[in-house]
Amino acid sequence: MIKVNNVSMRFNLGIEKNFSLKQFVVDMFSPAKMKERKENKEKNEFWALSDVDFEIKKGEVMGFVGTNGAGKSTLLKIVAGVMKPTKGAVEVGGNICPMIELGAGFDSDLTARENVFLNGAVMGYNKEFLESKYDEIVEFSELHDFMEVPVKNFSSGMIARLAFSIATIVDPEILIVDEILSVGDAAFQQKSESKMRSMISGGTTVLYVSHSAASIKSLCDRVVWLDHGKVKMVGPAVIVCDEYLKSLNLL
Amino acid sequence: MIKKTWINFKKYSFLLKQLVSRDFKVKYKRSVLGMLWSVLYPVLMTMVMAVVFENMFKFKVEGRSYIVYLMSGLVMFNYFSEATNLSMSSVVGNFSLLNKVYIPKYIFPLSKCLVVGINFLLTLIPLYAIIVIEMLRFPEYNMVVGLAHLALPFSFLCLFLFSLGVGLILSTVSVFLRDMFYIYGIVLTILNYMTPIMYDISFIQNPVLLAIMKCNPLYQYINFSRCIIIEGRIPELIYFFYCGASAVLVLLFGIVIFKKNQDKFIYYV
Repeated sequence: MIKVNNVSMRFNLGIEKNFSLKQFVVDMFSPAKMKERKENKEKNEFWALSDVDFEIKKGEVMGFVGTNGAGKSTLLKIVAGVMKPTKGAVEVGGNICPMIELGAGFDSDLTARENVFLNGAVMGYNKEFLESKYDEIVEFSELHDFMEVPVKNFSSGMIARLAFSIATIVDPEILIVDEILSVGDAAFQQKSESKMRSMISGGTTVLYVSHSAASIKSLCDRVVWLDHGKVKMVGPAVIVCDEYLKSLNLL
Repeated sequence: MIKKTWINFKKYSFLLKQLVSRDFKVKYKRSVLGMLWSVLYPVLMTMVMAVVFENMFKFKVEGRSYIVYLMSGLVMFNYFSEATNLSMSSVVGNFSLLNKVYIPKYIFPLSKCLVVGINFLLTLIPLYAIIVIEMLRFPEYNMVVGLAHLALPFSFLCLFLFSLGVGLILSTVSVFLRDMFYIYGIVLTILNYMTPIMYDISFIQNPVLLAIMKCNPLYQYINFSRCIIIEGRIPELIYFFYCGASAVLVLLFGIVIFKKNQDKFIYYV
């Protein structure tokens, strides 16, 4: 279903430094400094992912663990098609619903109703589909009385509810989830988690990132442990999670 | 590959509509007159400029209505300057979206060119109102609104394609070089004076300068429209060719540049 073949991703940390007229003039007068800067440039290269290679079968729920900056989000963005990898390739069979950043593309001046259509369009849905699902979105978000209110007057919890409700109306073949289950109040959190479970049990392939080992263990079949851009371990959820927690001295 | 692009375009055509209608709604959200400004603004601007140039500098275009001459050039140039300016900042301005979800990136400059295009079509209402008023005021100028006007959309289409091409180039360059926002402001000012909007091209005596000015596609599109509006006749075939070819060439050039660089955009946030 998803094949990640030797994917590497390079970022240039100091990219803007190579880009000013001032620097150019300075370089002209001091070649030694320029050489030093060129060497620095190589140091500035940062490999967010190197030679990541794994496969996800249809219907499998794959978890991703790792410390901050291990490359989890970068990997998900590459699978979602937001970024192109520097090396390697990703094969994806099926339509993707990326729940990486909720509410991307909300316009604060527009009403909630208008934002449902705008945000839905950003996620690649068409008009007929959004119209047929509109009531469901309102129902799930419980924002009936606020649909004609500009989103700038919403609380952050309300925005998150709306965004989650829009993102989960599809039955995608592949679902990418990046730590979003902690939105809204306690009641909504429970509601969103059970929604997630029903999507998973419907046979969707899921890529799931979370820092909560408990939710990874309970939701995922297998887990990939990323460490500084490299795959440290792939295997059954409980085993990999425990190893990961041990390495952090938490178990 | 073209087929794939087309399928993708159809998938995101709803997003395009949403972006256009969003820009339109937000633009006049808090103003009392709202959309009426699209009609009023160009009229008032033309009035001011007509008073200044006609009375203070004694600009005149022999045997023609100066205000129609001025306004027909002004609305077309304003379309170009606004569409390209907004296109230029559209990619940089939507970075937060571009690095979160996959969206075909050309959709941003395209939506800006379309939004300004709708505005442009609205300005045609006051333009025609002024044409009719001037027809009644000065029957000796022999202006007619007739069949020749059916050829006008051709020059508007060329203007749109040309602006889109320039917009694609600018939005690409501005990602890598933010100085472009300032540079382009100056370029637009130069272009504004180099295009015969408030004066007639016969003002220019220097043959070299004249040749350069005639190479400006904007001049050709404006000239094409004026030929129809003021003289009431369809331009010669060669002008159809010149306008169409320059617009398509610039657009293709823009598409190639944009396509080649779009995958790198994300590193230059």
